[in-house]
Amino acid sequence: MSDSKSVSVKLRDVALAFGDNLVLRNIDLDIGAGEFFAFLGPSGSGKSTLLRLIAGFGPTPSGQVLIDGEDVARLPPWKRSVGMVFQNYALWPHLSVRRNVAFGLEERRLPAAEIRERVDAALDVVGLRDLADRHPSQLSGGQQQRVALARTIVIEPRVLLLDEPLSNLDANLRIRMRSEIRELQRRLGITTIFVTHDQEEANTVADRMAVLNDGVLQQVGAPMTMYDNPVNRFVARFLGSANLLDGETAAVPGGRVLQTGGALQIPLPDAVPEVARVTLMFRPQHLLLIGPDSEPASGTIRFTGHIQQREFLGNLIRYSVTLHDQTILFDQIHQLGAPSLTVGEQIELALPPDQARFLTD
Amino acid sequence: MNKLCWLRTLLIPLFATVCLSAQALEEKLVIVTSFPEDLTSVFQAAFEKQHPETKVEVLNKKTSAGVKYIQETAGTNTTDLFWVSAPDAFGVLKGKGLLQPYQPTSEGIPDLIGSFPINDPDRYFFGFAASGYGIMYNTRYLKAKRLPVPREWDDLKQPIYFGHVGMSAPSRSGTTHLTVEAILQGEGWDQGWATMKELAGNFKTITERSFGVPDGVNSGEFGLGIVIDFFSYSSKASGFPVEFVYPTITALVPANVGMVKEAPHPQAAAAFIDYLLSDEGQELLFDPKIQRLPVKPAIYAKAPPGLPNPFEDKSIGAAVTFDSDLSEGRYNLVNSLFDQLITFRIEELQAATKAIQEAEAALVEKPNPTAQELITKARGLIAALPVTETEASDPAFVAVFTKKRKKATDEVPQRQAEVEQRWDNFARSNYAEAEKLAKEAALLVR
Amino acid sequence: MSAAVRFRWGPTGVGVSLAFFVAAFLVIPVLKVILVAFQDPATGTFTWVNFQDFFNTSLFRESFWNSLYVAGMSVLLASSIAIPLAYFTTRFNFGGAVLIQTLGVIPLIMPPFVGAVAMQLLFGSNGSVNLLLDEHFGFTLPFMEGLNGVILVESIHYFPFILTNLSASLANIDRSLEESAQNLGSSGIRLFRRIVFPLAMPGYIAGASLVFLKVFDDLGTPLLLNVNKMLAPQAYLRISSIGITDPMGYVISVMLVLFSIFSLWASFLALRGRDYASVQKGGGGLLKRDLRRWEKSGAYAVILLILAFVLAPHIGLLLLSFGTVWSFAVLPDAYTIDHYLRVFETSSQYITNTLLYAGLAASIDVMLGTAIAYIVWRTGLPGRKWLDYSATVALAIPGVVLGIGYLRLFHGWQVPFSEQPLSSWWVILVIALSIRRLPYALRACVAALQQVSITLEEAAQNLGATTSRTVWRITVPLMSGGILAGFVTSFATAAVELSATLMLVGQQSDAPLAYGIYVFMQSAAGRGPGAALGIIAVVIVGLGTYLSHRIIEQSRRLRSSDRVIGEVDPTLE
Repeated sequence: MSDSKSVSVKLRDVALAFGDNLVLRNIDLDIGAGEFFAFLGPSGSGKSTLLRLIAGFGPTPSGQVLIDGEDVARLPPWKRSVGMVFQNYALWPHLSVRRNVAFGLEERRLPAAEIRERVDAALDVVGLRDLADRHPSQLSGGQQQRVALARTIVIEPRVLLLDEPLSNLDANLRIRMRSEIRELQRRLGITTIFVTHDQEEANTVADRMAVLNDGVLQQVGAPMTMYDNPVNRFVARFLGSANLLDGETAAVPGGRVLQTGGALQIPLPDAVPEVARVTLMFRPQHLLLIGPDSEPASGTIRFTGHIQQREFLGNLIRYSVTLHDQTILFDQIHQLGAPSLTVGEQIELALPPDQARFLTD
Repeated sequence: MNKLCWLRTLLIPLFATVCLSAQALEEKLVIVTSFPEDLTSVFQAAFEKQHPETKVEVLNKKTSAGVKYIQETAGTNTTDLFWVSAPDAFGVLKGKGLLQPYQPTSEGIPDLIGSFPINDPDRYFFGFAASGYGIMYNTRYLKAKRLPVPREWDDLKQPIYFGHVGMSAPSRSGTTHLTVEAILQGEGWDQGWATMKELAGNFKTITERSFGVPDGVNSGEFGLGIVIDFFSYSSKASGFPVEFVYPTITALVPANVGMVKEAPHPQAAAAFIDYLLSDEGQELLFDPKIQRLPVKPAIYAKAPPGLPNPFEDKSIGAAVTFDSDLSEGRYNLVNSLFDQLITFRIEELQAATKAIQEAEAALVEKPNPTAQELITKARGLIAALPVTETEASDPAFVAVFTKKRKKATDEVPQRQAEVEQRWDNFARSNYAEAEKLAKEAALLVR
Repeated sequence: MSAAVRFRWGPTGVGVSLAFFVAAFLVIPVLKVILVAFQDPATGTFTWVNFQDFFNTSLFRESFWNSLYVAGMSVLLASSIAIPLAYFTTRFNFGGAVLIQTLGVIPLIMPPFVGAVAMQLLFGSNGSVNLLLDEHFGFTLPFMEGLNGVILVESIHYFPFILTNLSASLANIDRSLEESAQNLGSSGIRLFRRIVFPLAMPGYIAGASLVFLKVFDDLGTPLLLNVNKMLAPQAYLRISSIGITDPMGYVISVMLVLFSIFSLWASFLALRGRDYASVQKGGGGLLKRDLRRWEKSGAYAVILLILAFVLAPHIGLLLLSFGTVWSFAVLPDAYTIDHYLRVFETSSQYITNTLLYAGLAASIDVMLGTAIAYIVWRTGLPGRKWLDYSATVALAIPGVVLGIGYLRLFHGWQVPFSEQPLSSWWVILVIALSIRRLPYALRACVAALQQVSITLEEAAQNLGATTSRTVWRITVPLMSGGILAGFVTSFATAAVELSATLMLVGQQSDAPLAYGIYVFMQSAAGRGPGAALGIIAVVIVGLGTYLSHRIIEQSRRLRSSDRVIGEVDPTLE
């Protein structure tokens, strides 16, 4: 089953409208052969629409959808050989597990013996051969998920599309299923696109991912790269907790600085383009607490503020710290016996310059 | 069929004639009729026995619906015979050129039964049986309600019968139309309507189908019905506790058959007409479920007891000389007038009648000339008519009800709806006024 | 939203043929009839004068108000029968539920004529009940006098429309909605009145508007009870009178059709934005509780009372079919099976014809219903809503009007390879029946389709099935329960349809049951056999309904059988 040749998926200037409502704009995207790719975005961002568009559902888009170099934008769904696993699995309640899985092969008019063989193989892959004669309603959520997967991979699609496949599962099962899916994808080597609104899910499984908002592609890249170097405030915030301090640039002797509220002046690296407004972005866990007797390295950005709120998150303790007129988050790793800070306490924080990012968008 | 053919070859010497004549017939015969299954099935079976190769298809429709059906399907006619009671219905079809003349082979049928002509003079349709109109009553009902058995129409006008009588409407039932027309011709236009309305004041209901009347009497919904005799005979034969009386003034109503124009199976149709008029066919009328009067006088020798012989007993149906042309000329007008004055205003008429009856009952105790005058006036109001006999027969006026839109020259001065609304107003205000006067009279003698 | 938006050839072809069918067998015949209403009686030119006449005629105005009154009162009476029954089944755990479900169909399959005859024998002014009352208490009640009789018979006949719709609505209410009301301190009757009933309103309105419509248009019942001051009988009396070319009958027909469409539209408006069922998660239904012993006996008493009342026509019919003579008496004089023997000897063709016609008509209905539902809800074809509207409008077309339209339109055409005119061919009768019953099947199919998640179809297309293959392998099987329900309703009601039948039967050998009953009921000796034929019709249709309910239940059980099996199976988790 894993010998099928992996193919690439390319979107060229794709746009889509429901009536007057533009839901996708100018999407250009290259997904490499054999890649595990994620579409990430909040609900309403257009990520599911984009996935369905690749499968051939919904109105015809403008632009090109190239699968293995062939434009499929005007082909009906049944001619695309693009396998999709639906969010609610869409298992047919009137057919047994075996008939569900056999469906696509039957539609391809394969000989009965081959269908049987391949269905068994696919059920083996997901470990459900014993339940082949049950009806979907007799299966648990995880089992249904696996049937949906088996049903899709059995036709050996060129591309596998997964539409929020884990959202209906409970937390533990979700974690197990996502590594199962990742493992399966590696084994089959099939180009896979995965839609999710959960950045943790995308981070853990995807080779690369695309963040969408309002029908516009925000950024494409590997999860860690994007986390570390978001191109804009939206991506920065969407991929994890982020402190964003807006300010205006000002020229000072020896370079430029970013001025934010509270008379904070932060030197800007030369690489930052010359624009009027810049946002300083940094992650809460990158802040360091400056003790009374420690002196931070030079060039460190320093903040002084009061602790306004304290949240215990298990592995972390998250503090909201009020600077003059802004609040930032500060994460401290929780260690047994370590004393924690109290609300109202004044603290001083340091941000190493290499952890700061300046967003101009 | 196969079985029958095999039989036939075996019995050829015996049934040679039957088979020969049968060979000439088509394999099907389609009859549109309003007669009940009790009657049609007997003739159907007997005819098929004589002509085994012909399958008789009976299509049961109410007379009016049958006429409509033959009219609507005239373009590609599938019907061979039209077989209903009312000669007027045949008159309508004949008038529209939808019938085909025929000369039956049977002999020994006189021209008149009672005073009613048996056959159409132009041979478009033929009477094969007759029935008399009269009063059917439920014996249990009369006993329970302590009502006397009526003998004459006038008996039914008595207050004791208030709410106990049923009848159909002429617009709904061809045979009822004949009764009404017979009364109108027998008593004259004005007196006839007066009688009709006086009778109707005692009605419990006006049924939508002619069979609704015997049905109501049979089940005891009402006790007495103005019906055609065979309804009563066949009900009695089915075991219902009903009896029938012929009042002195009655019309004999022939039941007719006629061939439809361009009948698809003309030979079979002709054979069926001949069979109906043959001695054998006439005798079938004595079947307990049918009980109609044959048109061949000779057959009465074999009649079951109780069935009258109108050819000997001249009192039956002799009082009225029925004028078919007159009847046909005002056919739709009479229907409409009856509906406007009686059918649709039966409640108002009942109320007025009740008031008059109560006032009269009171008057018997305490005579009072003023009150008497009021009651006479009230009766006059009920009896009054919005249309005279001359008008009713005036072709120009009657055309309101029969106009055809096909010719642009057919200008009609009034629309039917306008005329009917006028009659309706007339009836309502007269009945209301009559009720008011009668109540005044009752107050006077209290 | 589906792929069909993109690929139009298949659906367009189907849509066009559907539109052609509806036009040829519904729209054009009806237009052909009602055109007369707009013609000047004298010259044949277009005019409104006939409508002026309609409003100027006091008889018609009275008839209109009477029709309105009867329809309104019938809705009230039918509601008072249906609401308690629906309440009992959805609120309490008790064994009467099956009984009530059966009640949801049986009254609908009362053949015409016989029902009213039976009611007259039981409740008429000299019927069994009044004879008993008179004997023991010295008074009688006017159950069947005038409009009362029509209201009584109609409510008993049509209340199942309310019962089934209301029960379905109640069953769809999310339990949490009720629980949150309880949590906020509401309970008992107040809870029912303020939360439960408003939530079930869409179902109630749908059922009630159907009852209103059917009663308003019904011809058979008033005619049988000799009530003619109502609109439908007025139209019929005029259209079917000998030789009369008066346009008023057609004008009344137009008024009937218009008013019916208006009330459909009004109920549509009332329902708009109120379809709570689709907003909710739709699970569970209301909280059912067990009845205490005295409550249980009370509930049974109420239900049995309603049952006896509602089944009165059937009971009367049964007595009539076995009775020898039943005249001015509480019960028939004696009992016999002769009537049944006579029916089986002479009239078995009525039964086979009925099975054939109603079966074919119902099959056509579910096919059309499924196709129309699919086109309307799954494609973007222009004008698709009109297909839905015009098919639904068949509800508002009196059978007589359709029958006459067919006679007018088709009698000039020949059946291929025969001399017969199309209008008296039995196939035309089947088509008339299917057009008359299409709205029922259509509603059932639409409901069924709406319950099929669109992703189930997309999944099939994704795996390589074309639109038509998807419909055939996924959509239709998933709709099967609803389709079967639509089939049963169409079949059951087509089996006893008379008004169009009476106009279109071309020969007796082609006639169905309803016609046979009509013919039998025209003679004194035929009353018993007619009743026997009626009972046979009820039994056939009832049996068919029961069997199909069994099939539906079975397939549903197969599909949704306890998820618990899977959930407690830990081996693969």
